[in-house]
Amino acid sequence: MPEHRDTAATYHRYHIPTQPAPDIEKWPSRFKVKVRRAGLAKLLISEVLHYGPRKDVILSRPCMYGVFSGPVGGFMPREEHCVGCLRCTTEFPEFVRIEHNPERRSLGDSYFTFNYVDQIAYEASSGLVPVRGAGYRGKFGGEGWDGMWTDMSEIVRPTRDGIHGRETISTVVDIGYTPNFLQFDAAGQPIGNTPHTLSIQLPIVLDGPQNELAAGVAQMYARAAAELDTLAVLPFDYAVGLAAYGAAVVPVLRPEHARRLSQLGFTPRMVEMQGWDEALYSAITATFPDAIVALRTGFEETGALVSYAQRGIKVFHLLADFHGRSADGSFVLDLIREAHKAFVDAGIREEVTLLASGGMIAAEHLPKAMICGLDAVAVDTPLLVALQARFGGECSARGASSFRLPGNLNATWGVQRLKNLCASWRDQLLEILGAMGLREVRRLRGEMGRAMFMKTLEADAFAGLLGYTEAKNG
Amino acid sequence: MASIANKTDEQLIVEKHISNLHNGFAHWPRAEEAPPALGDSRWTQDLILATWLMAETGQVPDNGLEYKIGASGGGFDVLDFNIPNQDQWLSEDTEIDLSLPLNRRDDGAQLKINIPMYGGGMSYGSISEHVMQARARAAQHLGTFTSTGEGGYPPSLVPYKDHIITQVATGMFGVREETIQYAPIVEFKYAQGAKPGLGGHLLGDKATSAVAAMRESVPWVSLFSPFPFHSVYSVEDHRKHVDWIRTTNPRALVSVKVSTPTDVDMVAVGSYFAGAHIVHLDGSYGGTGAAPEIAKKNIAMPIEFAIPKVHKYLVSENVREEVTLMASGGVRTAYDVAKAIALGADGCVMGTAELIAIGCTRCSNCERGRGCPFGLTTTDPLLQQLMPADWGQQRIINMYNAYAIQLRDLLRKLGLRSIRELRGRRDLLKYVG
Repeated sequence: MPEHRDTAATYHRYHIPTQPAPDIEKWPSRFKVKVRRAGLAKLLISEVLHYGPRKDVILSRPCMYGVFSGPVGGFMPREEHCVGCLRCTTEFPEFVRIEHNPERRSLGDSYFTFNYVDQIAYEASSGLVPVRGAGYRGKFGGEGWDGMWTDMSEIVRPTRDGIHGRETISTVVDIGYTPNFLQFDAAGQPIGNTPHTLSIQLPIVLDGPQNELAAGVAQMYARAAAELDTLAVLPFDYAVGLAAYGAAVVPVLRPEHARRLSQLGFTPRMVEMQGWDEALYSAITATFPDAIVALRTGFEETGALVSYAQRGIKVFHLLADFHGRSADGSFVLDLIREAHKAFVDAGIREEVTLLASGGMIAAEHLPKAMICGLDAVAVDTPLLVALQARFGGECSARGASSFRLPGNLNATWGVQRLKNLCASWRDQLLEILGAMGLREVRRLRGEMGRAMFMKTLEADAFAGLLGYTEAKNG
Repeated sequence: MASIANKTDEQLIVEKHISNLHNGFAHWPRAEEAPPALGDSRWTQDLILATWLMAETGQVPDNGLEYKIGASGGGFDVLDFNIPNQDQWLSEDTEIDLSLPLNRRDDGAQLKINIPMYGGGMSYGSISEHVMQARARAAQHLGTFTSTGEGGYPPSLVPYKDHIITQVATGMFGVREETIQYAPIVEFKYAQGAKPGLGGHLLGDKATSAVAAMRESVPWVSLFSPFPFHSVYSVEDHRKHVDWIRTTNPRALVSVKVSTPTDVDMVAVGSYFAGAHIVHLDGSYGGTGAAPEIAKKNIAMPIEFAIPKVHKYLVSENVREEVTLMASGGVRTAYDVAKAIALGADGCVMGTAELIAIGCTRCSNCERGRGCPFGLTTTDPLLQQLMPADWGQQRIINMYNAYAIQLRDLLRKLGLRSIRELRGRRDLLKYVG
């Protein structure tokens, strides 16, 4: 076989295979459909009298989505099919009423609202980018991620081919240490510090729950990460026994694990150390000398990050709570910027990798977090929602939040749901990158010129208007 | 029964639903309680119902419906006019001029519209031909324009060609010499506010044989227009685009529709220097037949922020008086129009409001399956009959008539005799957020 044929035959481009993975637990419908039966019966009688034998005319109903297509039609509407178009209530205001279903709206919590839950349910079940008609329906802007827009470019660039070029945009990110520059000896051999990284194919790491967790769920995370060519961060005790997915598993280690490292059963490419511990660090580097060691800690430690970098830690996984807050109430968007800036100010941003978890619960949060300074997002609660977890009240504190997963989880379904979610988020990331004309996601990190903040835009547009200064100055 | 006997089932089905729908559109704005699932933060129940009422009566709602603002908590919804004391108002019989010249250069036709608004591009395929006809006839009646969008120029629109803008978008669907020659205005769509940087989407279910024939594409295959124009790398390249149009139709005005990136001011000035008569800014909260949800909220800035940025920059470059600045993308009401003008636009381009006037409930199912259940954003042969063009035409005319009443009333209270006097009068606005 000619050489070029051989190359073509072995050619592989990164792709996440998606397939439908419908809900296994029935969730409340989006809408409640209420039909007054007396009104419907009256209508039927009047139509029979008016149209006589024209059965198709009499039975023609406004709904195109099958809500009234059951055996007894509108007498028992199938509200799970309702998409809220309101044609039925427009045609028959006297006896049809469509309401938002409060049960559906109670999914999630005050931060992870039902809109986000709905979106993730769609993404995880289909693997598709949510596409809908009509314009934007939400609030104008707001706090946190809602007060930030990403930029785009009107004119073509040599590195861009719009929608038809998306397949050539790279979403690979490198995790680990890279020196600011390479040094070589007289023979041309690299000397001094050399890069020590691993690459993942998308800027998403699966951050598993660190509290009580079913072993089967841990395995789903590991398998999904392996198939996605990324990483799953799992508690040490759950990582034990996952040697089959070892290249994708990042065990989280605590001081008490120092003596048990050999029980892991595989050599991890990366480990996370839950808080700095000198003895544990020594044990890890002795047992797994080639592993990348990340420090998993709260954003409260931002002031000390540079000193940890000087002690050898080059990967940081910073944690906000599930609502994206630090102990002092700061939001993860600002926390990321602060952490990123700490490394920039120290002149070592290129040497370290910054991951974070907490409060990043939608596809758009991914590029926004990277613009603020992350290399990759360690996704947490959205993965649970993808598996149809129900929130037990407000779930903000790590370790003190309760999520109930469906009882009939199965591995194939769960892995597909996680892969579908990641595929959808990756494709949405490509939309953002395509709009900017960026060819690779690595260029997004810390690109604050790609961000527009509501606070600044509003001041530029409205400063000087009567009432503006007073309103903004409280 | 005789009339029933002479009609096909399909005719009777269409008539039945049209009658029910029209009754519903008349009922709900006057009902004590609005449909509970209607509306959202941007288009509230009240705004939708008020628009239905204006479309029915041609008058300003007087039954307590909020018709001026939505509940989005920002942008136009936190702006109001600083109305002076009544003794400074103009008298009731003062003639208030709402007309707007579109050409401020000394080349091309000197076009003027009677109201400071025209219809935005909605493509054949994304909306039905009936809707296109209704919009075109309304534009003719009102003395303004509507735009083809990028899906081509159906022959049924030719009788209204003096009021139709031919859009040239990146897909170049239906762009021919004759459709450029028809057009008093040719609009280059560089970007669309609802999906900036992404190009147009027409999902396969709506690419019927007729739509595909118009677009010279394959039926039932999704169409994703490229983004951006791959022939434009610079202002000079854009100038060549303009020259192409002007060579084909020397009297045509050229409009350049762009989105709102952070450097939108530079883009606008570049468009001017390339020869544009109209710079059309399409903000990020604009309408769409189909767009990724992520694009609607997160890419590019809302129009309320883009208008003053561009206006100020055009002024500082000493070219403001030579170009017409039109704004769209989240302009929902007559008061939004007035606020956009006070922030620095000359006029506005309307889209969603027109669709709401003819029965849209903003359910966002435009792209799903056969398309809009109300017969608007659909190419389904049966569904599109639900919106007869003559009915739609009158609804749109009525809505703009109600807008004109509101604009004249507002200008009179502000002591202005012309909509043109309002442009850039930020001093007349107040922030109420």
